[in-house]
Amino acid sequence: MDHSATTPIDSRVVDAMMPYLTQRFGNASSIHQFGQEARAAVDKARRQIASLISARANEIVFTSGGTEANNLAIRGVCEAAQAHGRHIITSAIEHPSVRGVLEYLEKNGWTITRLPVYDGGVVRIEDVRAAIRDDTVLISVMMANNEIGTIQPVKEIGALVRATRESGQKHLSFHTDAVQASGRIPIDVEHVRCDLLSLSAHKMYAPKGTGALFIRRGVRLFPQQIGGHQERERRAGTESVPNIVAFGKAAELAREEMDQRQEQTERLRDRFEEKVQSRIDDIVFNGDRRRRLSNVSNISFRFIEGEGLLIHLDMQGVAVSTGSACSSGTLEPSPVIKALGRDEELARGAIRFSFGKDNTDEDVDVAVEAVARAVESLRSISPLARESLST
Amino acid sequence: MPYSDIFKDHLANPRNAGELPDANAIAEETNPVCGDRLRLSLRIKDERIEAGRFLAYGCAPTLACGSALAEMLEGSTVEEARALTRQEVIDAIGGLSSRKQHAAALAIEALRKALDEVADR
Repeated sequence: MDHSATTPIDSRVVDAMMPYLTQRFGNASSIHQFGQEARAAVDKARRQIASLISARANEIVFTSGGTEANNLAIRGVCEAAQAHGRHIITSAIEHPSVRGVLEYLEKNGWTITRLPVYDGGVVRIEDVRAAIRDDTVLISVMMANNEIGTIQPVKEIGALVRATRESGQKHLSFHTDAVQASGRIPIDVEHVRCDLLSLSAHKMYAPKGTGALFIRRGVRLFPQQIGGHQERERRAGTESVPNIVAFGKAAELAREEMDQRQEQTERLRDRFEEKVQSRIDDIVFNGDRRRRLSNVSNISFRFIEGEGLLIHLDMQGVAVSTGSACSSGTLEPSPVIKALGRDEELARGAIRFSFGKDNTDEDVDVAVEAVARAVESLRSISPLARESLST
Repeated sequence: MPYSDIFKDHLANPRNAGELPDANAIAEETNPVCGDRLRLSLRIKDERIEAGRFLAYGCAPTLACGSALAEMLEGSTVEEARALTRQEVIDAIGGLSSRKQHAAALAIEALRKALDEVADR
């Protein structure tokens, strides 16, 4: 129930990558036949990934993951465009790998506008329009949020950026972090009109350690890894051939099975929410339920804190997340839930359940029972729950 | 550091949870930084803690420390309870990383407050 954190590797993906972990170990930069075999495999994967998002193969740059793709996109474009302005627009609910880069740039003299997402967890296009200044060089808004799954108006932002550029502001770029969206909803970069788009392999049933950045032809970007000619000088370093082959295969499967996976996870998610709602009182769903990824459910349980619930569920064999998976272990309540205007108690009691293609009805039913037991137990020791009964 | 098995057991099966209707020492402490709360109710007779109950809201260590403390207190003398240290609570739940030790501090503060209440009478 934690597929937004990561996914199991599909057996068909393992089969595809296995030869590149054993016999076909060539370096894709070598001229001899071993190298050329590896090069052909990397190029095939590049086409498979391009095809998932309707891009051209030479617009895909492989990275070590989604975090590096976000770093390369934001820092790369900002360094290239800084002579034209040092203002960036983003949302209040970006993943830490975007949020952190922007905080770093802010400390170095850049101005950041963080757009509100209101109680539904969705940016409003009129706020984006109003935030654009003469010195804005980048808009970075995620495609779908990692905690609540809400889908952002990226197509509208893409059209706005295109129009702004045509009216003379040539140095404005649009980046979207599609790590959670990719493989889960159809993506067409011609439709979204983004200039940069980040992807990660391990969210779509491939191994950890590989991601990609779509860089639209003509977009100026300074590399962040220097010291090699790989990836057309945009990302130095020997390509991780087996991981890239796996990523390509996973992208191909995601494209072929997209509808089926969406229907399956939506059915499981809706079954889960219906049952939780009928079993447990005093809960709040987080994020606009009509506008989110089909596999995510984020619920705040009043009177209790998420970490205790997570450990309870873990002991019953059900894995979930509180806040962002990366921030587990810190005391800070989720900034995403707080951005929805929720009070501290609801932000601390938020849990993300995220379903995958291999989950079953039985998994959902086991999880519902586990959640009901855990919530009841934690509320029995909560002073907040007692106080609510006496008022 | 990962949480110990005894820690998880306190969380899954809290000892002495609730409130004593006939308590003669009740105290609640709140951590002003994170908002964690711990409420203790004790029934003390002849300088001995006959019964102790806890209620807790907050991160998992706060809940586990509350449970462990309530269990340790029952049957102890007031003097023994007053001598209890943060480290003893931490040891009772199988250890805590330094970042989480404030939970044990909250438990000891609530205990001292409850015992002071009795002493003041």
